[in-house]
Amino acid sequence: MIPVRVKQGYQLKMEGAPTRDLVVLDTPAKVALLPEKIGFIRPRLAVSAGDRVKVGSVLFSDKRNSDIVFLSPGTGTIEDIRLGPRRVIQSIVIELAANEDREHFNALDERGLAGMDRATMVSKLLSMGFWPRIRTLPFRDIASPAALPPKIVVTLNDLESFSPSPAVYLSGREDLFVFGLKALGRLTEKILVAVGTENAAMGKTISEMCPEIEICTVDGVYPALDPGVVVYHTKAGREENRSWFVDGQDVLMLGELLTTGEYPTERIMVVAGPMAREKRHVKTRLGVPLADLVGSAGLLEGACRYVVGGVFTGFRSGPEGFMGFYESALALLPEGADREFMALFRPGYNKPSFSRTFLSVFNRKPLASNCSTHGEERACIACNYCPSVCPVDILPQLAYKCVLADDIDGALSHGLLDCVACGLCSYVCPSKIELSEVLSAARDNYYREQSQ
Amino acid sequence: MKKSIQKIFDTQRRHFEAKGRFHSLASFFESIETVFFATDRVTETGPQVRDSLDAKRYLALVVLSLLPALCFGIYNAGYQAHKAAGLATTFVPVFIQGMTIVLPLVIVSYVVGFSWEILFSALRKHPVSEGVFVTAMLFPLTLPPTTPLWQAALGISFGVVIGKEIFGGTGRNFLNPALTGRAFLFFAYPASMAGDKVWTAAVRMTDAAVDAIGSATPLALSAAVNTTDGVEAALSSAGYSFSTLFFGRYPGSIGATSTFMCLLGVIFLIIVGVANYRIVLGGVLGILATGGLFNLLAADAASSFWTMNPLYHLVMGGAAFGLAFMATDPVSAPDMNGAKWIYGLLIGGLTVVVRLLNPAFPEGVMLAILFMNLFAPLLDHAAVSLRLKKRMPNV
Repeated sequence: MIPVRVKQGYQLKMEGAPTRDLVVLDTPAKVALLPEKIGFIRPRLAVSAGDRVKVGSVLFSDKRNSDIVFLSPGTGTIEDIRLGPRRVIQSIVIELAANEDREHFNALDERGLAGMDRATMVSKLLSMGFWPRIRTLPFRDIASPAALPPKIVVTLNDLESFSPSPAVYLSGREDLFVFGLKALGRLTEKILVAVGTENAAMGKTISEMCPEIEICTVDGVYPALDPGVVVYHTKAGREENRSWFVDGQDVLMLGELLTTGEYPTERIMVVAGPMAREKRHVKTRLGVPLADLVGSAGLLEGACRYVVGGVFTGFRSGPEGFMGFYESALALLPEGADREFMALFRPGYNKPSFSRTFLSVFNRKPLASNCSTHGEERACIACNYCPSVCPVDILPQLAYKCVLADDIDGALSHGLLDCVACGLCSYVCPSKIELSEVLSAARDNYYREQSQ
Repeated sequence: MKKSIQKIFDTQRRHFEAKGRFHSLASFFESIETVFFATDRVTETGPQVRDSLDAKRYLALVVLSLLPALCFGIYNAGYQAHKAAGLATTFVPVFIQGMTIVLPLVIVSYVVGFSWEILFSALRKHPVSEGVFVTAMLFPLTLPPTTPLWQAALGISFGVVIGKEIFGGTGRNFLNPALTGRAFLFFAYPASMAGDKVWTAAVRMTDAAVDAIGSATPLALSAAVNTTDGVEAALSSAGYSFSTLFFGRYPGSIGATSTFMCLLGVIFLIIVGVANYRIVLGGVLGILATGGLFNLLAADAASSFWTMNPLYHLVMGGAAFGLAFMATDPVSAPDMNGAKWIYGLLIGGLTVVVRLLNPAFPEGVMLAILFMNLFAPLLDHAAVSLRLKKRMPNV
């Protein structure tokens, strides 16, 4: 096991963390796939409203590479294909039938897996709809099936509030996980599994079951277990900047997919946050309506924001929304638009802050956070908080100024492509500058220009 | 209380909204309103939650850290005035006397400085920055108590407009605005900014008596004496013992005489993480090292000032105030931690060099800081280049 220490970052101790309890939810009436929220893809629909689909039927493919297909997470009829501005496909909603039948793929056993070559494994993962879950750094686009990755990083990432804990989704299913890892091992020479120090025992179990896999234990706070951060702190050469990564729960899904030959539709998710009555893990369907998750958790009174994914990296949704393709958490946060009286003069024992300007430095309890910006936008006052929180040693304020000055080469030399979009620079900024947003947009634009 | 204040803002808001008469002053309204009521703005983009700290609180903490120096400055201005006039030096009347001397300067500084900020925010469409609250507090504390109000108004105007606004406002200025204003007055009106007579306000005295009160500041005295007994002894016999100098009860700039109060303020700022200790420690080291170097070179020098214990440089004049509050201004200081050490060291070194080598300027800290402000981008450039060289490229 390789120990890795990530010195910078920030763990927001936020009220409303989920318990380790796991509740199985009833099957929802609908599920959906959200093409809009999947990176850079350009979807070509294979179905239209009213069509009948089965679990594992192709819903759409990527125009850039039509081998990359996205499969249906449910059996039933396509109720609606919602289009947004400029005809972007926002969601494909499937009304579930009472009896769900599935597409069947060829299952694999240990022996079949051991004898399989890379090309066969690639085409198998493509046709089984797993490929989109393998993404590549630094732009986090779906990996190119033709490319040979220097390594594949698998992270058991539970540092961001509030993501599912490996202790819940992995314990007792290590064999499936290891099967998934071995399948990924067909694609590359080197697999690296990153676990937090809290889950070191789990890492040990995995390495005993599958000794050829490298395990690294990451000692650090959010976002130390982000694959980009893990690669930044472990890379031995420049080629590793193009490493691939897969989420821990997706590896489990891969194991299940290959051993059963059926597209798995269930996933362990988290519903938590200060506005949720019951904060816990739930077992439910991929693409579940958020209303179902909220219904199971119960909602407190007051204006509430639905955040799909982690509190820092997730996207904003609403009661009519659905869970995303890559996300497996729903955070319910208070909007916080009420104006606090004399907030400027309060010592702030209960106000979470990265800085030492509130008495909350003495408060170790989880604190209430909301979606208020807590201040108006101002010019950068060179407080130097963002470079002291950045997990990959970027100087975000200078990279940001490079981007504003249209100096993309300057931004790149500052490490723009190492940025993991963790959002911490925007979080800590007292001038409320959207650093993370600007850097991410610059990076995405750079990628689009490169790939044209 | 809360409701009545809310009512004032609610009834006045319409004038500042899109079609109101004072729409161009909307950011002024916002900056005042957010003093009383936190913003109602919520996050539009990720991350969905944000830190509780905003620029307003950050800068308010600087003003807070200046209050000990201000209070002592008020007391000291009154004390020196009463002492010179031969009046009683009990605390209450002295403090009240001090307020009549100092508060008009502070008020003029705030009113004029804030007016410029509002004017530029309306013209240049930038938010009203709280930086001006800090500038307008720093500036009067660097002035002699006898400064005419019109000069104070002129100085803060120069500082805010030329030192800051013409470069784009707070965050884009490369000079410390308060020091820029102070330097302007120093060169434009030397008669009111330097000499022996400006450091004590005259109260209830005849003109003849006013002419008689002049007493040299510790720096001027040290520069002038030529003795083999040591400058320390000369200072001591003039009433400037080390502890007097440290605690600050001697004639000088309003807020800058007390090293002790500056120390309190800067320790607070370092604890809350607003001031950077590297600049302050670098400055102290720079002063001590350069002072020590001059001690070694002093053997055949003309002035016995060179032989002075370098610790005295820390407690005389504006060195402490400058290092604590002016050099640590994050906008005009370098960003990089390594560059901050160099920046601090050179400020300290230059301060002593100006003091000891240039008879025209008894005080060097103002010029040293402004000079190093100019070099901060260069230091940053070097530090950033070094740092980026160590980075494994990712393109």
